[in-house]
Amino acid sequence: MTPPIIRAQGLTKRFGDFTAVDNLSITVQPGMIFAFLGANGSGKSTTIRMLIGLLQPTAGTIEVDGVDVIRHARRVRDHIGYMGQKVSLYAGLTLRENVEFYAGLFDLSGPELAQRWGALRERFSLGDAEGEKSEDLPAGIRQRAGLALSTLHAPRVLFLDEPTAGVDVHNRGLFWELIQDEAAAGVTVFVTTHFLEEVDYCDWVSFIDAGKTVADAEPEALRQRYSDGYQITIDLPPAGRAAAQQTLQDVGAQVRVTAEGLRVVVPTLEPAFLATLDRIATERTATSVHIEQPAMTDVFRRVLADSALDL
Amino acid sequence: MSTEPVIELRGLRKRYGARLALDGVDLTLAGQQIVGVVGPDGAGKTTLIRALAGLLNVEAETARVLGFDVRSDVTELKAQTGYVPQSFGLHRDLSVMENLRFTARLQRLRDPEFTSRATDLLARTGLAPFVNRAAGALSGGMKQKLAIANALLLKPALLLLDEPTAGVDVLARSEIWTMLEHERDAALILISTSYLDEAARCDRLVYLDAGRVVATGTPRELRASVPLELYRAWGDDPRAIVRAARSLPYVGSARATGRFARIEVPKHSAPGDARVLRELMALPGVRVQFAEHLPLDMESTLLALARGGPL
Repeated sequence: MTPPIIRAQGLTKRFGDFTAVDNLSITVQPGMIFAFLGANGSGKSTTIRMLIGLLQPTAGTIEVDGVDVIRHARRVRDHIGYMGQKVSLYAGLTLRENVEFYAGLFDLSGPELAQRWGALRERFSLGDAEGEKSEDLPAGIRQRAGLALSTLHAPRVLFLDEPTAGVDVHNRGLFWELIQDEAAAGVTVFVTTHFLEEVDYCDWVSFIDAGKTVADAEPEALRQRYSDGYQITIDLPPAGRAAAQQTLQDVGAQVRVTAEGLRVVVPTLEPAFLATLDRIATERTATSVHIEQPAMTDVFRRVLADSALDL
Repeated sequence: MSTEPVIELRGLRKRYGARLALDGVDLTLAGQQIVGVVGPDGAGKTTLIRALAGLLNVEAETARVLGFDVRSDVTELKAQTGYVPQSFGLHRDLSVMENLRFTARLQRLRDPEFTSRATDLLARTGLAPFVNRAAGALSGGMKQKLAIANALLLKPALLLLDEPTAGVDVLARSEIWTMLEHERDAALILISTSYLDEAARCDRLVYLDAGRVVATGTPRELRASVPLELYRAWGDDPRAIVRAARSLPYVGSARATGRFARIEVPKHSAPGDARVLRELMALPGVRVQFAEHLPLDMESTLLALARGGPL
């Protein structure tokens, strides 16, 4: 197995009597989109600030892309890109001038910069915005520009703290396509969000509450553990119901007969189960199937309710 | 119940230099209900809400709010309107209780009334245990609840909220919505939001684009007005499904999320769901495990309105 690209162990941060982050451990594999979720005030931002070397932990160890962040906080900055909820673009400067400024921080210039920025400008559709003053950029373009700047020096790890807050649904979609492209190219993405439907773009989810990890798994595994499962409604004529019910029970599903047809509950969607659904839907006429996926908002609620019980 | 319109706008314009932020808004809203203001970034949502609060110099044929002309004396309009701006507008150094008392004094609310109203609001917001905490030291979600409690102190007939839940976690959002729904029978509530679940929860939506009202109606009416069919194709590699689905001549757009691809088919080119489902299952080069036809959801509805197709 490849070694993790982010590894924090026993991470703790106290401010006076208040423990903001409490013995937290985080492991992120390279190339993964890692969602880091929690309520307001749960310690997310404090954790990110420690991971990127801006805040010294009270205790614990942090390694990002092979760098000991606590000992060499400055050295880690060449390996990571960071974008916060408030995109840091200098007002009064055009986007292009902001690019020059950021490039200077990473000793990028000349043909190397021209090539790197040229590629990003194309891929992030920023050509028209290049000459605009940063304060005149609409929110969606501003966010894309922020992401482009944070990847200018081709970092191996991106930290994105609520990158889509206040962004419209169209630009959120575009933004996540870019994030997925980055991950497909091998970049590791560590991201926080309050749009819980975005968790489904991620490979792994970690929840924190009161500074402690309360759940840490793939999105699908969390659905399986913290929801009532997938609810499937099958509308079909009475004649076909008994046979369909038997077929579904044979693959282990719980089936209930309703006025319109059948209602099925399964903890997760296995390929064999989906193949069975497809057979039922295509073999009979006047049959319709609707799958209801457990919403991540409900999963989040249940994770936090369970963690409250444990305290 | 009064049927006098609470908001009556015809040809409302707001100019910032050369830019028209509102370009002829026509809007009539009556009664007590929750109205969502939705639309792309830069559409004019914040400007509209500020204009309704009587904060801007505007041009219009008609611009009446609660019976007052927003172009003349707005003192009385402001006294009857609760307004929560996008950025936290209360005093950070004052405690929760001091902030509420400050507003009460400004508005000459008598002490016994203040005490009963504040007690009720603090209990409903869950802020009661934090009355002595400085507003600046509250978490993001609690700050917003305080801002809303403050706006509700004088039992306004009109409540205007500009993205009150941006960056707020799902539990605090749910508490905020419980508060709003409690006021639903007492006030006309206008709320701008970029969360899809919140848009779906409104009684009525006003869709703004480029400074104009492009559509209004209940969430159900807006969904029905969009000439699109929505399909979902489940499989292990949703991004590969998306690439393959785009080769079908009738597919309008396709996006990958989690375990499935969302595929939109414009009604004018839709060949019927039996054929779409069959062809999705037989896409070359990818394995689709199951395909289904879904009712149109808020995501597709808002994206279609943003694309501005024929409605």
